[in-house]
Amino acid sequence: MNTKLKISNVTKIYPGCVANNNVSLEFNSGKIYALLGENGAGKSTLVKILSGVIIPDEGKIYLNKNILKLNSPSDAKKNDIGMVFQHFNLFETLSVFENLIIDSDEQRENLREKIDTIMKKYNFSIDLDVPVLNLSAGQKQKVEIIRCLIRSPKVLIMDEPTSVLTEQETSELFLSLKKFSEEGILIIYITHKLKEVMQLCDEVAVMRRGKLVSVSQIKNENMESLANKMVGQNLKTIKKKKENNSSEQLINITNLNFTSEDPFETNLVDINFSVNRGECLGIAGISGNGQSELFQVLSGEIISNKNSIKFNKNYIGDLNPQERREYLMAFSPEDRLEQAAIPQMAIFENVALNNFKSSNFFNNGLINENKIKEHSKKIISDFNVNTDNINLKSQFLSGGNLQKLIIGRELITSPDLLICFNPTWGLDVGAINYIHETLIKINEQNKSIILISTDTDELLKLSDKISVIHKGKLSKIMNAEEVTSEKLGILMGGGN
Amino acid sequence: MIKIVKRDQPSKAIFFFTPVLAIFLTLIAGGLIFYILGFKPFEALKFFFIVPIADKYGFSELLLKATPLCLIAIGLSFCFKSNNWNIGAEGQLTFGAIVSGGVALLFYDQEGFYILPIVILAGAIGGMIYASIPAILKTYFNTNEILVSLMLVYVSKLILDYLVVGPWSNPEGFNFPETRQFSDSARLPLLFEGLRIHAGIFLAFAAVVISWFVFYKTYLGFQMKVSGFSLKTAKYAGYKGKKMIILVFLISGACAGLAGVGEITGPIGQLHREVSPDYGFTAIIVAFLGRLHPVGIIFASLVVAITYLGAETAQIFMQIPKYTGQVFQGMILFFLLASDYLLFFKFKFIGSKK
Repeated sequence: MNTKLKISNVTKIYPGCVANNNVSLEFNSGKIYALLGENGAGKSTLVKILSGVIIPDEGKIYLNKNILKLNSPSDAKKNDIGMVFQHFNLFETLSVFENLIIDSDEQRENLREKIDTIMKKYNFSIDLDVPVLNLSAGQKQKVEIIRCLIRSPKVLIMDEPTSVLTEQETSELFLSLKKFSEEGILIIYITHKLKEVMQLCDEVAVMRRGKLVSVSQIKNENMESLANKMVGQNLKTIKKKKENNSSEQLINITNLNFTSEDPFETNLVDINFSVNRGECLGIAGISGNGQSELFQVLSGEIISNKNSIKFNKNYIGDLNPQERREYLMAFSPEDRLEQAAIPQMAIFENVALNNFKSSNFFNNGLINENKIKEHSKKIISDFNVNTDNINLKSQFLSGGNLQKLIIGRELITSPDLLICFNPTWGLDVGAINYIHETLIKINEQNKSIILISTDTDELLKLSDKISVIHKGKLSKIMNAEEVTSEKLGILMGGGN
Repeated sequence: MIKIVKRDQPSKAIFFFTPVLAIFLTLIAGGLIFYILGFKPFEALKFFFIVPIADKYGFSELLLKATPLCLIAIGLSFCFKSNNWNIGAEGQLTFGAIVSGGVALLFYDQEGFYILPIVILAGAIGGMIYASIPAILKTYFNTNEILVSLMLVYVSKLILDYLVVGPWSNPEGFNFPETRQFSDSARLPLLFEGLRIHAGIFLAFAAVVISWFVFYKTYLGFQMKVSGFSLKTAKYAGYKGKKMIILVFLISGACAGLAGVGEITGPIGQLHREVSPDYGFTAIIVAFLGRLHPVGIIFASLVVAITYLGAETAQIFMQIPKYTGQVFQGMILFFLLASDYLLFFKFKFIGSKK
């Protein structure tokens, strides 16, 4: 039986962002399709439209010539579209069997038989009567897959399925997916991992900034060509001027490890690097490969071994962010609204979050509001924040102005090292340029930057040295002149 | 047509308007309940809310009930503002009462100006010790403070029960479950002859002033505010989260303990089984009705205190069980939570033209 799924001219607009811009795609059963793209490229939106979670503004979806009306996830189920999300939707304390039958009205005995048949057929071995919390991530995923298979789906969509799997579980998954495909289930595989696309898929559709960039056969592609399509062709090398090479080491990280108890966090493995004065080290990578953990370890939100971080001849691995600031470090986290600033508080209160002893914001435990306000005014004028009211709640600042305020707050103490994580994420071009100029200026003043970013262009533009983080491991550190975005793309996808 | 739209920003006015709205809706719903029960709604509400405080004695009783509510709610606001959910103030009150009562019993046959301060201090320390249990378990063992603090309430009540029936019961008390009367030196002085209102109200006032100062003028207050909005930000700013959790629990416990002292050294004068008519739980409602603001809490404690008095009057004059008071407290909280919807959404009236 042949299944044909067609997406025709689908558009979905969010305020300030076109998530899907007139996307048309066609899928046929018997093949495994990859939907490839960076974070924010629009893959997830498209998948959510297919599974009925989001209703598109325009466009139609056809299954075998019938128009599908997908107004809710249950509509998708009714139309034989199965979906396995990146984060599992299972009840941890219920048994596997209970999880499987929870949304089915069939008889329990029939279902058990059916499930047993499915498990035998695909060589799954899971005890149906243990609670789900005792299962490994790979087994939980199998439960999700079985839940789809019970309904004998025509289409199976897998959203970043390998992000929580081990290597071995990944190859097991691939075997099963190939088997499903042979049996006529149409498989759509969403990922940003190039290696997996090359291993598993027959055809690949690449998305970038909401648009469909290309559709092609895997046999006509290689990792470089895909990386290029994914990241974009604009490889203009606007490089900052490089004058003197200071060789004085400012920060030195040795054998830094971090093991998380949270399965959705990435462990950091044996991180080693150093940054000289006046230098910018860029750390590239696809998001979710340990950047957030690395930032937190560097900022002191996660405390590590004292000797693993040496800054300016002091060992500071066991200090918290506030203590590290006293050694002239500054931090600009990725999440502007939930971490770097508090939208419900006034601008001047947000300035006080960077509490530097010598700025005297708090004397003897009391708030020195005049001092904070004076300081805030200086930041606003020095860093071009587009307001003159420091009592304004910071939620009324645009993303760009808020980021300027944050960077200004961090820089006004003239730190020796600024660590920033996706500083221009979601900003408009003007603000991006301003932030970039500011960062270049810092380097010119012989101060250093560690720039963790998922934006390859930004990294190539600003960095002196670049390393790539993949699954919590850093690649070797390369001189930025020798690096191209293709090379970064390959390293980001886990290649060599 | 009416459409519900998200507000850009909750306005200050609506922030303080919703508690008033909640009280208003409570009155309407209360009137309705009385009507269903076969009473005249206006008359019943008058018995409930106006008669009890119509005279000097009634007003003194109002302040007497509002004092512990205000004191505990102020302490709780330290916890709630910083994202710590201490709902065991009743237990901290009880344990504060046990410790201060124990100290007062040591001095039962002595007089001296030094006794009262020691008794008061003992109560505060008792409350702090009891509040430190959920705080320490939360910071070092990651337990849920809601469950721990709540369960400890029942532990403290059983300890009190054991003490007043067993070791501390009055040897001349014919086996009544109560201790000896405290000596006069261990009692909070009455403010007016013939009225029950006592010096504990000054403790509540002091707590209001101090908490206002801490919330709005100190580094600690600032850190609490930041942690209340976002724990992630607090961590990023480098605040010592564990220290702060323990500190706000200690403050909250001390306030509840003091409220316990006020009860046993004020109107009661001894320890017995029922040192508090659930002031510790009701104060949670007071704290939120007062928007965790010290001045708001004063008003809220007065409003909620009326429900205690009104329930008693209603029981006497209308033969309604006094638990009606709790119904009213529940309704206030219910309507407050419901009208908080207005903080984030507004109704928009749209004409039918298109």
